[in-house]
Parts: sequence; structure tokens; C-alpha cells
Amino acid sequence: MRIETTRSAGALRLEHAAGFHATAAHLRQLLAPLADAAVARGEPLAVALEPVTEEALAGRLGDDVRLARLTPAGEPDGASAQTTAARWALELRALAAASGTPVTVLTEHVRRLDGADGRFWTELDAALNVALADLPVRMTCFYPQVPLHLEITEGARLTHPLLLDDGELHHKPQHLDPRAVLADRPAQAPPLLGPPDVHLPFGAWQLHEVRAAVERALAGSAHERDRVEDVVLAVNEVATNAVEHGTPHARLSLWTGGPALLCEIDDGGTLRDPLPGLQPPHPSEPRGRGVWIARQLCDSLHIWADDRGTHVRMRADP
Amino acid sequence: MTTTVEDSRSVDHAIAVPVSDEQLWEMSAAFVAHGLASGEQVIFFDDGTSEAVLERLADDGIAVAGPLSDGRFTVVPREVVRATRHSSLDEIGATVRTTVDGALAAGYPAVRMTGQLDHSLRSTGAMADIDRVVDAAVRGRPARVLCCYDRVRYPDDVVEALRAVHSTEVVAPAIYDDGLLRITATGVASARVAGEVDHSNRPRIRKLLEAALDTALRAPDAPPDITLDLSSLRFLDVAGAVGLVHAAEEFPSAHRLVLAGVRPGVQRVLDRCGAPFAAQLVVGTRPEPGGDG
Repeated sequence: MRIETTRSAGALRLEHAAGFHATAAHLRQLLAPLADAAVARGEPLAVALEPVTEEALAGRLGDDVRLARLTPAGEPDGASAQTTAARWALELRALAAASGTPVTVLTEHVRRLDGADGRFWTELDAALNVALADLPVRMTCFYPQVPLHLEITEGARLTHPLLLDDGELHHKPQHLDPRAVLADRPAQAPPLLGPPDVHLPFGAWQLHEVRAAVERALAGSAHERDRVEDVVLAVNEVATNAVEHGTPHARLSLWTGGPALLCEIDDGGTLRDPLPGLQPPHPSEPRGRGVWIARQLCDSLHIWADDRGTHVRMRADP
Repeated sequence: MTTTVEDSRSVDHAIAVPVSDEQLWEMSAAFVAHGLASGEQVIFFDDGTSEAVLERLADDGIAVAGPLSDGRFTVVPREVVRATRHSSLDEIGATVRTTVDGALAAGYPAVRMTGQLDHSLRSTGAMADIDRVVDAAVRGRPARVLCCYDRVRYPDDVVEALRAVHSTEVVAPAIYDDGLLRITATGVASARVAGEVDHSNRPRIRKLLEAALDTALRAPDAPPDITLDLSSLRFLDVAGAVGLVHAAEEFPSAHRLVLAGVRPGVQRVLDRCGAPFAAQLVVGTRPEPGGDG
């Protein structure tokens, strides 16, 4: 049997470092040599920085250097770190494929995404470790030395295998496997949405009813025919997982009031992998492809678990 | 007696009892297609299924736009069909006779009619009476009538009562039909897969491929390619697509899995599941709708 792999063959795999800054000026000082080094190597430079930081960096590098801006984190239906990680993986994969070289990535902590306890950042870095694992990416994430939430410093310490100190990258022995990090910090529940417009309990033999309900909900919406088919497929895959690996009975909820379709699948099972579908499955592996494809097709896909079971919320823009 | 749709030249007034919507569309489309191919006038009494039957005709590569515009093929709208509930038996008989006369006068060699009547509108006895009147109106004339009473919409006692008044039953055997997915054999190593493949029926595809490959390996004159016609496959889930890709990769090297008439949505799933990299898998998309025949 022939096995094609979607994984990159490049020697460099993810180098994920944390850097800590005292002030905005200190941050600019720390960013400059990393950016200069990327330019000197002729590699693309991708950023997820606050506008003022990005502007300062662009000013320093001059007009000849183009900064690739990663899609900022944060969704209309609440921030989802795993969605951001999946999206950045897609964007960085394309950048690396286009340039044929590693990509340097510089990111900055943004306070408005802290939420109640700053856990967003720990989940983001853990998810990036999984989603970018096989990509030729040199990524440095900058955090304030004294953040509002202690969790941010603690999380950054655990999720980054490398630490930027005095301009040098050092390995951090206390770094943990991303799934181990998240074992103590489960992914957050997204904001409550109120009563759904469609509610459908289903079992393994009623998946066609789930598909029909999604199709009905999208009839007359701004979603085009191909988009409707893809969204139906995405929901079908998550629903299939729920009844195949979760519990024999699961529930579909749909919110159809806005331009985007919001959908939730709930089952009573436990979530074994806290970060499913973030890595392309190996082609010889028959399982695990459904959620990966659903993540590619949805504009956001957030999985979390609580004492009632496992929940997946999806958003599909037209 | 029983006969198949393919042999429906011998049908004068026959009943069909499809077990699924997919079979209803398949049989209706085949009956219409044979009529058009024979130059007969075809009249379809819509009961809410005409859209699906027209889609099936498109899947089958039958051009209907021309025949629909020049009168060779007529879809009688549902409202008109429903209005017959106010007609007397005599009026219904007269309508059928007039229809046959009209077709012959227009130069058609024969006329064929099919469709369903909503049983909720009439009692079982009244429906049997209508069938007798229709039978009398077409007997000995160049007219063929296929009455479809499917088990999805009609209770078993109604189906049995109506079966009793028809001398001929048209059958369409399937390898598998669960109401969602219908698999029919189309040759020694080929089959048609219609409907939707998901978690509930996915293993059937694997079994089908194993059986087809087994046949191909044993029969010296069987074609090396296993062909699945997916023209009427409206949904394929990810595991189903992965299953097809893996099955093709595991075929002995002299054999290929050929998927024909693949719809765009199904093709996108196959593409995402590695179909382009599977050397022994051939994915043929459906041809663009042809000219009017």
C-alpha cells in the first residue's frame, strides 16, 4: 500500500519559545533582532502583534519587508484558542509551502483575550504545540513579565519548550506535553447562547436527520450550495464522533438567528484527547480525520468537556 | 406475473411496490426513460416526487428539457392530480381514454402514464375501483400504466388490496436498500450506489467491494475494474470516503476502483480524504448536462 504523507519533510520542526518583556519599549527591543535574523535568512515573517507594536516593527524593517499578518485571535461568538491555533496552522502551512523555507512567527499577549483567568493563553500555546508540531516554524510568543493573571506566566512556562533569555534560546526542562498541561486546565466553555432554534436528540441511526436539520436551517440563508454541503459534512462528522465514541444518544442544537449558523453537538461521553483534529491525520489512519476536516470547514470549532459530557460548538459563516 | 422495468415493454397496466424513495425514483425514472426512448408520449402524475424523479433522470443521463417543452413528456401538477378526488369513476375513465386518443392522434405510437395517488384522499376500495376503471380504459390499447404504491406512504393492507387488482407487478431487485442507501447490481463487477452513505450503513460498501473484487478475481472474463456508479449518491461521510480510498489502495495491482458520475460535493470529500493520491482509484465526475434529446 502506498502511503502519501501530508506532513512536511523539512528538517526544521516547530521551535516554540516564550519571551518576557517589562515594557512596550523592551518588547520592541526584543523583537528587533528576531525579525532582523528572519530577514537576513530570507525567510517570511508572520506576526500576531498589537497594531502599535506591528507598526513599530514594520517601520524598523522598512518597506521592502512584508509582514504576513496572522488572523487575530477572537471570534464573534467568543474566543476559542483551539480555533486560532487551527487557523494559524493553516496560514503558516501555506506560507511555508509558498516560500519553501521555515517561517519566523512573532506574537504578543493581548489582554482583552485573558477572559476570567488568562487560561486562553495556556490553551492557545498548548494547541499550537499540537497544530504546528510538524511545521517548519520558529515561533516566539511574548508575554508581560507581570501579567494580570498568574496563570499566564505559569502556562507560558509549561507550554514553551524554549525560553528567550538575553537574546538566546534556552531549553526549559519544566516544559510539559501539551495534553498534560491541559489535563489540569480544561478548555473553557464558550459564552452561553440562550435557547436554540432547533433542538434534536439523535442516535447512530439518525444521522440523516441531523443532516436534514442542518440543511433546513441553511435553506434560504446566504450560504451557497457548496458551502451548505460542506457545513452539513462538518456537522455530520462531529455528530458521528459523538455517537460513535461518546454516548449512544447525543443532541444537536442550532442557532439560526444571525448571518452565521451556530451549532452545538453534546454527548455524555468523556473527552480522551483534549485537542482533537488539530493535526492532519496520517493517511493510513482510518480514524480521526472527521474532526480535522470539520475544523477546516468551520469558521470556528471549539471542543470542551464538563461533568455533563463533551461539547462541540461550530460556527459557519456564509 | 412479475417483470422488471427494463422489460416494461410488456407492461400494460402494472403495479410497483417500492420499498424506499430511492427505489420509487429509480423505477419511475426508468419507466419514463423507456417511454421516451421508444418515442411514446409520457405522462407523469405528480404526487410530490416529480422533482426527485427529474433529478434521477438527470443522474441517468436522460435529457428531459426537450421532451418537456414539446409535449413528449408531461408532468401533471400535483394540484391537478389532487383535483381528481372530486371526479367520478366515469370521469376518470373518460380522462384516461381521451389521453390515449390524444396521444395517438398526435402521432405517438403509444402513451405511458405513471405516478401515485395520495391514499389519504380515498378509501382502499375506492382506489381499487379507480384501478379497475383505468384498467378497462387502457385494455387492448397502446397504453402502459405503472401504478406506484410504496411501503413508505401506503399501509400494508392497502398495498395488498391494490396488488390484487393488478395482473402484473414490476420489480427492481437490489443488493441492499435501507431507505437511505440503495445498492443495485449493474454488471458482473459494477454496481450503482444511490442515496446517502454514513455511519449507519458504511460497512455495506466494504462488503460490496469485497464481493465485487472476489467476483472479478474468480471470473476470467470479468473486467479488471470494479465500477461504482455514484451519480445518485448525494452524501458520503468522511469514513466512507476514507474506506473507498483504502479499498482501492488494497486492490491487487491489476485492478482499479472506478467511481463514475461523482457529484461535486462527494468529490470534495474524496479529495480531502486522499483520493487524488490513490493510484488505483479513478474518480470520474458526472458529465455536464447534455443537449436536449
